[in-house]
Amino acid sequence: MLELSEQQELMRKVVRDFVEKEIAPIARQIDEEDTCPVELFQKMAPLGINGVFVPAKYGGAGLGFTEMVLVLEEIARHAAGLALGLVAHYMGVYAIMTWGSEEQKQKYLPRICSGGFSGLSITEPGGGSDFTGQKSTGQLVDGEWVLNGRKCFITNSHCMSVNVVTVRTGEDAKGRPQISAFIIEGDTPGHTPGRKEKKAGLRGSYTGEIILNNVRLSPDNLLGKPGDGAKISLGTLGEMGRTGTAAAALGILRGCLEESVKYAKERIIYGKPLSNLVNIQMIIAQNRTDYEAARLLTYNAAGLKDAGKPCAQEVSMAKFFATEASVKAAKRTMDLMGGYGVITDYPVSRFLRDAVATIPACGTSHIMQVIIAGAELRK
Amino acid sequence: MNIAVCVKPVPDPGHYNRININPETKLLDRKGIPVIINPVDKNAIEAALQLKEQCGGKVVLVSMAPPDTVETLKEALAMGVDEAYLLSDRAFAGSDTLATAKILAAGLKKIGQLDLILTGSESADSGTSHVPSQLGELLGLPHLNHITELSLELPVIKMKAKIENGYVEYEGRLPMVLGVAREINTPRYTTLMGVVMAQNKPITIWGLNDLGLDPAGTGLSGSPTQPGDLHFPRHGRKSEILKGEPEAIAGKIIAILRSAGVLA
Amino acid sequence: MPEKPGSVWVIAEKSRDKIAEVSLELLGKAREIAAQTGSPLTTAVLLGKDAGLLAAELIAHGADQVILVEDPRLESYQNDTYALVLEELIKKHRPEIILFGASYRGSELSATVAARLQTGLSAHCIDLKVDDRKGLVQVVPAFGGMVYSEILCPEARPQMASVKPGVFPKPERDATRTGTVLKESATVLDGYQSPLKVVGVVQQQPSDLPLEKAETIVVGGWGVGPDMWDYLEQIAGELGGAVGCTRPALDEGWTRGEHTMIGTSGKTVRPRVYMGFGVSGSAHHVVGMKDSGIIINVNIDPEAPVFQVSDYGVIADARVILPVLLEKIREHKGV
Repeated sequence: MLELSEQQELMRKVVRDFVEKEIAPIARQIDEEDTCPVELFQKMAPLGINGVFVPAKYGGAGLGFTEMVLVLEEIARHAAGLALGLVAHYMGVYAIMTWGSEEQKQKYLPRICSGGFSGLSITEPGGGSDFTGQKSTGQLVDGEWVLNGRKCFITNSHCMSVNVVTVRTGEDAKGRPQISAFIIEGDTPGHTPGRKEKKAGLRGSYTGEIILNNVRLSPDNLLGKPGDGAKISLGTLGEMGRTGTAAAALGILRGCLEESVKYAKERIIYGKPLSNLVNIQMIIAQNRTDYEAARLLTYNAAGLKDAGKPCAQEVSMAKFFATEASVKAAKRTMDLMGGYGVITDYPVSRFLRDAVATIPACGTSHIMQVIIAGAELRK
Repeated sequence: MNIAVCVKPVPDPGHYNRININPETKLLDRKGIPVIINPVDKNAIEAALQLKEQCGGKVVLVSMAPPDTVETLKEALAMGVDEAYLLSDRAFAGSDTLATAKILAAGLKKIGQLDLILTGSESADSGTSHVPSQLGELLGLPHLNHITELSLELPVIKMKAKIENGYVEYEGRLPMVLGVAREINTPRYTTLMGVVMAQNKPITIWGLNDLGLDPAGTGLSGSPTQPGDLHFPRHGRKSEILKGEPEAIAGKIIAILRSAGVLA
Repeated sequence: MPEKPGSVWVIAEKSRDKIAEVSLELLGKAREIAAQTGSPLTTAVLLGKDAGLLAAELIAHGADQVILVEDPRLESYQNDTYALVLEELIKKHRPEIILFGASYRGSELSATVAARLQTGLSAHCIDLKVDDRKGLVQVVPAFGGMVYSEILCPEARPQMASVKPGVFPKPERDATRTGTVLKESATVLDGYQSPLKVVGVVQQQPSDLPLEKAETIVVGGWGVGPDMWDYLEQIAGELGGAVGCTRPALDEGWTRGEHTMIGTSGKTVRPRVYMGFGVSGSAHHVVGMKDSGIIINVNIDPEAPVFQVSDYGVIADARVILPVLLEKIREHKGV
């Protein structure tokens, strides 16, 4: 039995109140306009949302990953795009919180817990999964790091306050590329947003390029040690990023469930509610079951992470299942609604676009299956 | 400055369409409807927290409700209230507004040393707006309801009370009982940190004996008003649907307006 | 001089040197109740400084007797002084039933007096009846109008109720009616110091026709939108009517203000014609408009509950119908 504590349920209510008042009414608009509601991000910071798992001494709420999932589920219930912007932000926060020095944590975390956007910039035009193939470089020149290159598909690219960026800083003893991570403040000269992508789904957060053009950084901006880039980025993506994406898909699943129930009860056909029909009940049963399974997988993975236990396989299963299930649930719910499902007055067609877009976020289903199977075969 | 805020847990107004009347018991069936803090009571909490920020002191919450509403009260504690008193006893069930005011007055007297008592102006479920005035009378304190503005320049308190198409400005001195209207402020959002802190704030539960109340004076037996039959409104109009292009519909509406004598 | 059992009182409220409409409306209902309970007298109670001139108005609308308390200390309404005087009068005359208008002041005053007398009070009644024991059955809306609940006050006396303006029809004025005026004094206020000081009374009189007086009310809900709101005003203007609104439209800030909102927490109206646009018909709103003469509603949602309380329904986007209707009305009027 997986059950949240009464305190966590109250947190859910508190977040839900905020989401229903501030986010739900603009969810359709931010999707249509494909903009990121930056001011909303600042409005939710005082609630403790932006630094939910960060210790209080760094300006966070001092909670854990279960609460992070809860926050993301509630936001994604109405606006999955915004939730993914928050996931990207959390990745930058998580990387600094986990691998930053005490000075770095004190310097950056309060800022990004109180309204500034963070993010993690790994992917390059050459590909995301080919981690060691990245071409952006960092060179030590006269005691300063000089970064050059181009990152793409970076969420929060156009509103970044504190960016965590990986670049190639040389080769290790065996001649393999050495990747290092740096903390770059958004307004550092040479650090600029490039092209802004037009997305089919998860609109409501900015995704685009980050250009690094002779960005000069002090050695204090190095996150961890030289060569820690792989550990930092894979650690961040693998546990936090994928748990967050699973939570966003979970929110979409709940949206599908609630919308399907509402429509089935309200829509009268042949003088009776649609919900009287058995085939409609089957759709609701499938939506409910998928939501429940995704919920159990996702909260369980977050709980393992909170307990400090290994969870890479569990996180991957949650992400794989929740994102794929959300696509199916959105499609099913559109089927249930007939023509109304296609009309954008109803949110379900947006749910479908968002659900599809959760699959590549933080690692595709193929990658998730490789991880799941790999862990299984190693046992 | 010590402020008490009286709050009422009510069924969430967003779910009123799920309310049923049990055909056998003839009682209201509100199964499955979540309980929330009466919305305008949050404005009262906000007003109290603002006064505390201005003058210091303590904000306590007082509520007459069943014991299972403790979790609902925690939300108020999470907003920033310091402690809560839940007045709860089987004997309180069925209290009308006067009996409720009596019980709340007993709780407030037992807490003692209060400078200001705030309530919401009315509840979402029954909406009588009686309790603020009746509480004031039973405590022997000056009282006003439907307050839309409040400012404290100790020892004077200035208030605006809503009337039809306007307001009355009052001045008075504490202690006092005030019912606040929703126009007075926008309640703050509860924070996650507030929820964590609420876990360690005291909630005291007082029953009939703790309050020294006579069972005959509380609950249904202590209420001068008694509930009678319940029924759903029946409006009994048969809607005739007007069909056609907008122009044709407009023509039909004009014909109706003319036959009703409001258009020549 | 104790009155005969069963006497029914209406506490008259003044609104700018006139008797408030709700008090006159209550006199009509009070007479019906008096007849059913066997009381020979319907009594109005009037407090004020120079209020005597208004007693005739109360008699013309159905009062058999007016209890009049004229005192400079009662010049403007104040809850505590009015409650003290009423308490004295009630203890002296012991009426069976007392009705108040459910205005802000009436609600507050009735609650205060009920607490002082330790008697029962119901609020915002939408109907009053007499049961076979001659007790007053007070029908109140609960849960935002979703349920109607009957309230009884079997033992305590007097039985007290407040009624919203517009619930009962106003009786015809009959200047030939006669009645008695019983003068009482406010000696209870001698030596009394009010803890509250009235610093000012600010009336924000809306310039538009009040909803209660309009024969036609054009009502806008969520489905109208801010950009189309002016069409409601123009249509109401052409019909010599007024514009009302629902709670969501008020909250959005599209309307002229709270005094135009119809529903449990707003006005109760009974115009000759109610014409709603983009109104869903929540129970909260329906309580305030269900007694209108003819009800027409335009809503895009065929399942909108408002159609159940409509004589005529149009399933269409209000935003499409509004401009066409305005044009057709103007065409019809030859403007």
